[in-house]
Amino acid sequence: MIALKNIEKVYRTSTIETLALTNINLTVRAGEFLSIMGPSGCGKSTLLNLMGLLDAPSAGQVEIGGQPVTQYRDVDLARLRNQKIGFIFQSFHLINDLSVLDNVEIPLLYRKGDETGPSRRELARQALEKVGLSNRMKHFPSQLSGGQKQRVAIARAIVGQPAIILADEPTGNLDSAMGNEIMSILQQLNADGSTIVMVTHDESMAKRTHRLVRLFDGAMVGDSVLMLNEER
Amino acid sequence: MWNKKGSHLLIIVEILASFLVLFGVTSLIVYNLQNYQEPIGFEYKNRWALGFDARGQADSTIGDIMQQIKSRVLSYPQVESATVFSSNLPYSMNSSNGNVTNNKATVLAQQFRTDLDMPKTLGVPVLEGRWFDKSDELPDARTLVINAPLKKVLFGDEPALGKKIAFGGADDKRKSTDYFTIVGIVGNFKPRGEYQENLPGLFQMNKGQDRNYTRSMLLNVKPGTDAGFEAKLTRDLGLLTKGWPVEVSYLENQRTNQHNIALVPVIIFLIVSGFLLINVALGLFGVLNVSIAKRRGEIGLRRALGATERRISRQFVGEMWVLATFALVLGLLLAGQFPLLNVFNLKSSVYLTAIGVSVAVIYLLVTLCALLPSRQAATVQPAVALHAE
Ligand SMILES: Nc1ncnc2c1ncn2[C@@H]1O[C@H](COP(=O)(O)OP(=O)(O)O)[C@@H](O)[C@H]1O
Ligand SMILES: [Mg+2]
Repeated sequence: MIALKNIEKVYRTSTIETLALTNINLTVRAGEFLSIMGPSGCGKSTLLNLMGLLDAPSAGQVEIGGQPVTQYRDVDLARLRNQKIGFIFQSFHLINDLSVLDNVEIPLLYRKGDETGPSRRELARQALEKVGLSNRMKHFPSQLSGGQKQRVAIARAIVGQPAIILADEPTGNLDSAMGNEIMSILQQLNADGSTIVMVTHDESMAKRTHRLVRLFDGAMVGDSVLMLNEER
Repeated sequence: MWNKKGSHLLIIVEILASFLVLFGVTSLIVYNLQNYQEPIGFEYKNRWALGFDARGQADSTIGDIMQQIKSRVLSYPQVESATVFSSNLPYSMNSSNGNVTNNKATVLAQQFRTDLDMPKTLGVPVLEGRWFDKSDELPDARTLVINAPLKKVLFGDEPALGKKIAFGGADDKRKSTDYFTIVGIVGNFKPRGEYQENLPGLFQMNKGQDRNYTRSMLLNVKPGTDAGFEAKLTRDLGLLTKGWPVEVSYLENQRTNQHNIALVPVIIFLIVSGFLLINVALGLFGVLNVSIAKRRGEIGLRRALGATERRISRQFVGEMWVLATFALVLGLLLAGQFPLLNVFNLKSSVYLTAIGVSVAVIYLLVTLCALLPSRQAATVQPAVALHAE
């Protein structure tokens, strides 16, 4: 599904160079629910961003569905981000001037409409239903709790029915009750066929996934299967 | 997120201001260009103007002396033709005008007094009818030659030859002998030159008492006639008139002066408003730059969700177009008053063209100002843009 080969990522500013990732080799298989753990600043977000094509590696190769994306132009990358990947961020990244429904609809604005299927509004409504927020569609993000915001973000991530969901500390800003709720939704999505990669700080959340990758100082220091893989 | 209402208002005001300035300059430019496209209707090369100061001379004799001067002037081989002309000579600063009416329309017309040789001397073509001839010199011959613009306002597409017009307004009381018959129609006549509006005008036969007040003359001299001849001419004419000062001017030089008078204000206005416009463009660019920089996070998010770089710039250009349209609707409400109220007496086509050009320039300006920063913002990696939030 996603393969990272000999990945290195260096952040360069005018004054400093940070080696954020080095020698990463990792393959995410279809249907997997993989969690990434590691101390703050070890490169977890960087790794997820590379998987989600939100940034380019300094060296190495990212493959999506067996195809290396190194040579892809902006339009090709945009299409992959739009159709194959759904992103969930720790800080939600909702657009405050747009209603919940409009926020969820955004990914659909960037693809060719399917004339025969349900309308964009309808798809957005269905996605909000899946996360249990169909009664908040007309609200604005500022009128929602943290857990509700993250559920909107999940609805936005799944509205385009991507094969892969990438979640960067989705429960990091939430209390444990809300965190559990979000985790249940993700587990349900995985059970319904989505491949999920989730960065987390929370050991108990990681235990609810299939596979745990540990990072330390930009390097992979562990990769363990937690449960029997339910291959589909 | 940014304070949208505040900066939107600022942008709208900036666009409105630049539109109004632009509308002013383009109106002026369009006005001059439209005028320039209409031929002046006469020749100015190798044409000289003579102006006489009759000093203490008894008025009643001046008409005859002017006739003697004309005969003398024509005796030189360098002079091809000559015509007596009222003081509102081509390219001079003088003007003379008054209302004329055919009892339907009334219009302000330039009025020139001249003689039989004017068309020949200035190369003015007679389009319909005839120029004045000997019969018009008779005291009770009340005839006029009008120019094409005057015909157009008084008669439209109807024939004008043989029609009668009178000086003054349509409702003035007048006798049948107050009317003049139109015997000929010449083309344009724009004595102030290329940048003058193509104004209505009419020509009267120089005769009777009026002859004593017509103290200028126009000459058509052979090419290459120089200041040597000018000196000889003034000397000879000084002897003939017993010391009347005479002022000789070349229409070609006078023309340059008139052009400067017309163009210098345009150029000054153009420079001033050019600076103003550059300032506004920079201001707009700055405001957009800041507001787009503030929305880097949103740009990163939209790209993470599948927007292409192009799509992002298109969104920002689109948003600016909406703001520009708001500003332009306000601007059009103001600028639209000019053609409606007929401000400065300019043709409404001047204002309408200026509005069209200004609207196009504003959209272009706004597009550029939005395209450059949004393109730049869109090429940043989404992760980096999101990180900046
Ligand atoms: N855009 C960036 N520019 C410079 N340095 C960065 C940038 N993003 C992350 N880093 C650095 O790279 C390292 C890894 O960061 P990150 O992947 O965000 O860590 P984590 O998500 O595990 O906390 C950190 O040292 C961080 O300071
Ligand atoms: Mg992180």
